[in-house]
Amino acid sequence: MEEKKNKNINNPIRRKEFLQMCGSVIAGGTVLAAGAKLATKTKVKESDVFWQIDPARCTQCGRCETDCVLPVSAVKCIHANRVCGYCDLCGGYYRSNVKELNTAAENMMCPTGAIERKFIEDPYFEYTINEDLCTGCGKCVKGCTSFGNGSLYLQIKQDICVNCNECQIAQVCVSDAISRVDYATAYKLKE
Amino acid sequence: MKKDIYRTIAIVTGIFMLTVTIMLTTNYFQVRNISPLQTEVMETLKSLNETYGDNTTLQEQIRQLDLLARKAYFVQEEHQKMGVYLLIAMSIVFIVCIRGYYADVKHIAPKQIDVFDEWLIQSRSRKYIRILTGALAAIALFIIIDANRKDSGSTDADAVADEVALAEQAEATTSEVSSGQPSESETLTVVTPSETPNEDTASATETPIEPQKVVGQSEETAPESTTTSTEATTNSADNVPTTEPAKPAEASPATPNDASASATAPSATQQRVNHQMFRGRNSNGHSSAKSIPSKWDLASGGSIKWKEALSSKQGFSSPIVHNNRIFFTGGDASSREIYCHDLASGKQLWSLKADNIAGSPATPPQVAGNTGYASATAATDGKHVCAIFATGDIICSDFDGKRIWAKNLGVPENQYGFVSSLVVWGSSVFVQFDNNNMRKVVALDIATGNVRWQKERDGKVSWSSPIIATVDGNAQLILMGNPNVTAYNPSNGEVLWSVEGMAGEVCPSPCSADGIIYAANEYAKLMAINGKDGSVVWEAADYLPEVSSPVVANGKIYIATSYGVLAVYNAKTGEMIAEKELNVELYSSPMVVEGKIYLISKDGQVFIFSTDDAVTQINSFATGEATYATPAFLDGMIVIRTEQSLYCVADK
Amino acid sequence: MKRFFATILTATAAIGAKAQNRFPKPDFESGYEYPDLQYAVPNELMWDVLDVVLLLALLISAAWAITRRRKPMIWISLISVLYFGFFREGCVCSVGSIQNIVLAMVDETYHLPWVVLCFFLLPIIFAFLFGRVFCAGVCPMGALQELVNVKNGRISKPITMVLGLLPWLYLALTILYAATRSRFIVCQFDPFIGIFRLGGDIELLAFGILLLIISVFTGRPFCRFLCPYGALLSLFSSVAVKRIKITDKKCINCDLCYSSCPVDAIQPPYANTPQEERKEGVKRILGYALLMPLLIVAGAMLMRMSSDVMSRAHKEVRLYDLVTAYEAEENPEIIPLEVEAFYMRGRTMEELQASAEKAQADYRLYSTWIGAMMGLVLAIALIRFSVKRRRETYEIDQAACVACGQCFSYCPQNKVGDSKN
Repeated sequence: MEEKKNKNINNPIRRKEFLQMCGSVIAGGTVLAAGAKLATKTKVKESDVFWQIDPARCTQCGRCETDCVLPVSAVKCIHANRVCGYCDLCGGYYRSNVKELNTAAENMMCPTGAIERKFIEDPYFEYTINEDLCTGCGKCVKGCTSFGNGSLYLQIKQDICVNCNECQIAQVCVSDAISRVDYATAYKLKE
Repeated sequence: MKKDIYRTIAIVTGIFMLTVTIMLTTNYFQVRNISPLQTEVMETLKSLNETYGDNTTLQEQIRQLDLLARKAYFVQEEHQKMGVYLLIAMSIVFIVCIRGYYADVKHIAPKQIDVFDEWLIQSRSRKYIRILTGALAAIALFIIIDANRKDSGSTDADAVADEVALAEQAEATTSEVSSGQPSESETLTVVTPSETPNEDTASATETPIEPQKVVGQSEETAPESTTTSTEATTNSADNVPTTEPAKPAEASPATPNDASASATAPSATQQRVNHQMFRGRNSNGHSSAKSIPSKWDLASGGSIKWKEALSSKQGFSSPIVHNNRIFFTGGDASSREIYCHDLASGKQLWSLKADNIAGSPATPPQVAGNTGYASATAATDGKHVCAIFATGDIICSDFDGKRIWAKNLGVPENQYGFVSSLVVWGSSVFVQFDNNNMRKVVALDIATGNVRWQKERDGKVSWSSPIIATVDGNAQLILMGNPNVTAYNPSNGEVLWSVEGMAGEVCPSPCSADGIIYAANEYAKLMAINGKDGSVVWEAADYLPEVSSPVVANGKIYIATSYGVLAVYNAKTGEMIAEKELNVELYSSPMVVEGKIYLISKDGQVFIFSTDDAVTQINSFATGEATYATPAFLDGMIVIRTEQSLYCVADK
Repeated sequence: MKRFFATILTATAAIGAKAQNRFPKPDFESGYEYPDLQYAVPNELMWDVLDVVLLLALLISAAWAITRRRKPMIWISLISVLYFGFFREGCVCSVGSIQNIVLAMVDETYHLPWVVLCFFLLPIIFAFLFGRVFCAGVCPMGALQELVNVKNGRISKPITMVLGLLPWLYLALTILYAATRSRFIVCQFDPFIGIFRLGGDIELLAFGILLLIISVFTGRPFCRFLCPYGALLSLFSSVAVKRIKITDKKCINCDLCYSSCPVDAIQPPYANTPQEERKEGVKRILGYALLMPLLIVAGAMLMRMSSDVMSRAHKEVRLYDLVTAYEAEENPEIIPLEVEAFYMRGRTMEELQASAEKAQADYRLYSTWIGAMMGLVLAIALIRFSVKRRRETYEIDQAACVACGQCFSYCPQNKVGDSKN
């Protein structure tokens, strides 16, 4: 800068234009080079778009409920019927140590009553999650994983998730269970 | 005119917006502070309900509160949403109006702040930048210095804190020793005439026990004390058995607490000895009990304090004792139970069924008849008693038979049935869960049942029980599996070392002394492993145990084979010292008490050996009742469970 | 919002999560059939294309609009705020894309979504060609501040100059935290995201509202004093191919444009009458030029030394600290959730220590560079404010101009031709 200034000291207008031109060339070159370099890093198919929870890693710490940027978390409990044992005494439906198997508040695990169950045949019950009520607290998931088949598990519902550039829950997840996934594996389902 | 309208609308919407904003924020903070779905009140009520069972008013209260909480949560959610939409709509109106109002005055040249003098502006800018640079550098320096100060400070502070903590702990120990005893005596313990509440309890063991008095007292106080004692259990912070004496000098201390106990309370060694788990404290086959009878006669009642015929369910588990309570387990396919008997009288105080456990299988797994559902010995930390059954159910109760927690660790697939006994260390209870379908070691918080840590384990099914060994003053959790003997850090489950060498059906437990771990099994070998690095010190294979676990005493290791040979090896070298043919079947494990080996055979013959180099047989006599369980040793007493009865030996 | 536009994707990718299988699959006798569960996945590809197309369209129209028109800019702003802001909920964002780009450069395993690349590059290309037209109204954050702006309160010029350095420092920190894979601070502390999402972290929401209230009285506080992407764009706009001009006609030095500029980017004429010896000025510039390497080295060293403190923002380092603190405790009563999860995952302490140390090493490396960058920024600013230049008419400071077009509509010369409209 010093040198150029001294060289063109007598003609400030031309000096300015010369600098301008140099700058333009450098900037244009940078844009092209960076664009080309970065373009090699993109892969349409494999690019990591969505956030998702790996149920195998999840330890149900309860932060999904509290740390999502949305007023009500985009994490919901989902239920794999094919894994479920359809038990009457369900570790996700009832609190542990229940005395009677009825729907009284003191026996229920879910704080919002989002788990509904339907009698199928003796002794089987079908469980379904009412997503509108689910807060993603993971209490039932903990119960089901510790006492049952693990058919209840947490997933980020992609239709609710706002797809933050960086997931706030992933930041605080104690078991590093949340990672980016590509288009094809938007959900990590249990079968 | 138009401007007036704009202004009026802007003012009205402005006020409205302000109100909505204030309402929204207050509402937000209110609800955030309460967080209706997770109130503590609710949790306490629910857990109270679990403890007290059928209390309809309590249940009604919970239901009401639950309804309220849900209402509060969902209504607030709805309001918040509405409020925000309202606010957005209002702000749009407000902005439009205010822009309309200021449309023509918007960009009228404002009063010049600076007289336009670029030279002045530039020199001022430079000054500010210099200030900014200085400020940034100062911040960075502050951060660096602060961090360094903390680092160097923390080492000093840590040292000081350590000392303080140690001193506090010592104080706590002594005060607990002195204050703990009277409070316990209120509900449970033996009160001796010579004892006053303020006195140290050193004399407790010397004075004889008065059975009648204790029976009367415990019967009187037990029903009333239920609430107070539950409170006491939950309130007392840590349940490391500080009232439990440190072991004799030959065994190095296992936990820091022990260290302080032995260091600060010399009288502690004379305290009441308990037998909290399978094969005594740390499951190591040693007891520091004193004045143990060396002869009794079950048939005639000689030296028998009491004998209680058992009507409870069958089980091969050994009895454990803490203060004046004896616990053992029994069970069959229909139910599994914990039994509590009074040490003074032998009478059953309560029993607790392990039922209604989430995850517990409806039909219990098949087990072998000579194993049963209750072969694993229970364990206690002095406040809680935990028991595990062949169904994979682990249950924790307080000393009054109130269930505190229960869970299923998974249904074991196991050709004989799950048998591994529990070990308690500090406030953790450890489960060795080696089955065909899953192999893991789990550390649970004894007060809550929460998993502290768990580790998957390699290898095959085994039936051995864990022990706590002390190596270099640090505790190690030793698990004997097939084929590996593995040491874990009991506080976090870190694998310290793992040595291959076991084979066959691994059933005996290991034992340890002076930092060396001894592991042995039939069809494999006897190994001495250095606990520091897991290197094998020596191996031998002459006599090997099938069920009974080895013990170490006086530099010798004692192996009781199931076909009736007591083999003695030099613990340092592995050299065979003696072999005693006893002509009995041995399933119960030997115990080292007062420098003597106590051994009971399957058919009820008692053998007592000295631990000197000669390994002389001090006594041998038949009791006449089949015994599988390892006896529990207390000062002046032995509690033995036989197939039909429970009896207590004490010299009159 | 996304809900209504979601397509149903039959997600078949089952993962190998270990199901406990404590209970066998029931044999139903009543002919019960498992319900067929499907989970909605938004057609992200469609939205991606739409986002980029709209971005491009808005950029082109903004570039066209700055040929002396102000009206279209308001519409562009409105569309941007409504679509990119409220509808897409603020998370297709050029400002945040810096971090993805940095991450893609340092992390081989990270696949950069092509949308993010477009959102990063397009505004830069346009800035290089036409000036900061992206800031003008295409960026929802700038547009939102522009829309609520009512008055052009002026802040003392030297103060705005210094505050104008903050975006550079923010950019430096952004790069540091992104390159070390710690966190995306621009996204985490985005003040307007809460407004676009109609709810969020209350402190940030309050900050966003405060910024909006400020921007009622003075133009674009966020763009001028915080936005790291704006700093990057200003580099390109200052050497733009086609520079923004207030008017094609002759300036009559009426001062109207100067008062109308919301971001204080118009410099009035300046005679540059000498106020000190010429030698003094040259000496000062030389002095600052010599100071530059010193500042760079000092910045690098200071940042390097404080890197250990900064590295606590990294998850692994934090976890390592937590675990060691927990293990140092003699009788830990409460086990922190993180530590519990650490043990349950069966990670070893060595593994954790290694990864924490790697993170710290990363921090040491990058914070050295970042410190140097900060020193460079300060040194260049010092030199820049030492150079004096004569101006005969009102001129636009191309780096600071956000191409909002206010000055066009105020310039009386522009009105002459447009009067028939």
